[in-house]
Amino acid sequence: MSDDAPRSEPSGTASGRRLPGRGLAKGLAVTLRTMTRRSVTDQYPDALPELPPRSRGVIGLFEENCTVCMLCARECPDWCIYIDSHKETVPATTPGGRERSRNVLDRFAIDFALCMYCGICIEVCPFDALFWSPEFEYAEEDILDLTHERDRLREWMWTVPVPPALDPAGEEPKEVAAARKAAERPDPPEQPGTEPGRPGGRGPRREGEA
Amino acid sequence: MTETTVGIGGAAGSFGAGTGQGTDMVLNIGPQHPSTHGVLRLRLVLDGERIAAAEPIVGYMHRGAEKLFEARDYRQIIMLANRHDWLSAFSNELGVVLAVERMLGMEVPARAVWLRTLLAELNRVLNHLMFLGSYPLELGGITPIFYAFTEREELQRVMEEVSGGRMHYMFNRVGGLKDELPAGWTGRARTTVARVRSQMGRLDDLVLGNEIFRGRTRGVGRLDAGTVHAYGVSGPVARASGVDFDLRRDEPYLAYGELADVLRVVTRTEGDCLARFECLLDQVHNSLDLADACLERLAELPPGPVNQRLPKVLKAPEGHTYAWTENPLGLNGYYLVSRGEKTPWRLKLRSASYNNVQALVELLPGTLVSDMVAILGSLFFVVGDVDK
Repeated sequence: MSDDAPRSEPSGTASGRRLPGRGLAKGLAVTLRTMTRRSVTDQYPDALPELPPRSRGVIGLFEENCTVCMLCARECPDWCIYIDSHKETVPATTPGGRERSRNVLDRFAIDFALCMYCGICIEVCPFDALFWSPEFEYAEEDILDLTHERDRLREWMWTVPVPPALDPAGEEPKEVAAARKAAERPDPPEQPGTEPGRPGGRGPRREGEA
Repeated sequence: MTETTVGIGGAAGSFGAGTGQGTDMVLNIGPQHPSTHGVLRLRLVLDGERIAAAEPIVGYMHRGAEKLFEARDYRQIIMLANRHDWLSAFSNELGVVLAVERMLGMEVPARAVWLRTLLAELNRVLNHLMFLGSYPLELGGITPIFYAFTEREELQRVMEEVSGGRMHYMFNRVGGLKDELPAGWTGRARTTVARVRSQMGRLDDLVLGNEIFRGRTRGVGRLDAGTVHAYGVSGPVARASGVDFDLRRDEPYLAYGELADVLRVVTRTEGDCLARFECLLDQVHNSLDLADACLERLAELPPGPVNQRLPKVLKAPEGHTYAWTENPLGLNGYYLVSRGEKTPWRLKLRSASYNNVQALVELLPGTLVSDMVAILGSLFFVVGDVDK
């Protein structure tokens, strides 16, 4: 290969002719220098990685919060959440009151073979029933076992970390802002029928109750 | 350089014959082949060791992304859009949200704009480091990829802390970003950028100065500016051929307009494999500078939100727009046509790799089979981005 046009050589070789093999020697020097340092490789199965709390490893289900509203299943871009439910009637609590019906969860499963780990289900859940956990060790021999049923999803809940503190330069989260406003609001004049300490009979608004 | 012509059986009669005469040897490279990334298939017509004609056969990873977009709302599209080029997920998301924001006439908070710029540049570094490591690997040097991946790991840790993902960030939303930064993240990002910068010299010394590497890439696979324009080649591959075009400077989006003094458009005129590699390496240095500049500006900005409150059902008004961005691999464009529904009526995706790979038709004929690997690797493409 002929060296035709003059072109910029890497730093340190500005003066005309290069010593043959100089580039190779420099490369070897890099290798030697690295050999004297500690290895950066984590020995994975022995040393577990430290994952940040936002890490999207697996989805945990907090079943008690689920109202079977189906929002997660509908918003999922590849429809990998399966929910079955039935209605139950709750007898009236007061004499002469109306019977109410309520949804009961029969099945909640996420097919992690299909899941794209986008987190939209967690984002849309209005009742905080779904959470990310950084756990990732759930590879299976059989693809069918990647469909985690409700008991398995419930187990992941124990691994959900506390969310990280937020940057002080950011805006106050709206839950905190709403709670603070409610606390700072002067007590409204006593009205007959309202319990003391509950201004206007409604607490701070929760996210999702638009 | 030695050239051997070996003829076996019927091919023996066609010594010295060009294409069309006698029996041509047709060689399939791929779709599964160690020297191709992913499933690109090349159909080479050989004359001895020389390539007479080359044709990239694409589509093995076609998923119909554009059709899938039409049945997804704008948040779900982000999930699909960040996957066609899996090495530049953040920049891909950016194109979609910029298009929708333009249709809505939505103003994005200043902190979100600067953060997006910062994350897009970190994503660019991640993408380039991948190719800076894998290209020497294809040419027979095993070590550089380990150095490149050490740096990638550091950056991925920073990206994972903020977004939760290591590759598919899902961190852009129409109107801003998904979440506020975790406390102390900017400091950690700054340290990481500094550490990556301090280690970049290793790649200079190990690869760029290496005589064998230079011998295999210099003067190989020359792409001239005319071909660049004819095939719509873009990004670092085009800039290595002297085409001085970078959307970050020429049609600034995000905060690039205010970063004009830091942004340096890296160009080379040689157009060979070495020039393309040098472009990539230089861009990493510049992207790290840009990331630092973004972090400085972020610290000066007054406190504020990183996103807009969105309606429950987000609909883009009727109309159409074209948003293009300077992705790590080249121009990435989204042509969005909306009929006022919550899904787009059509979302055309122009991806950089698709056009860049077409240039192989011009680049490969006349070169040796052994150089094919060098040329193929130096076009820096992601097969998902070709086939989408």
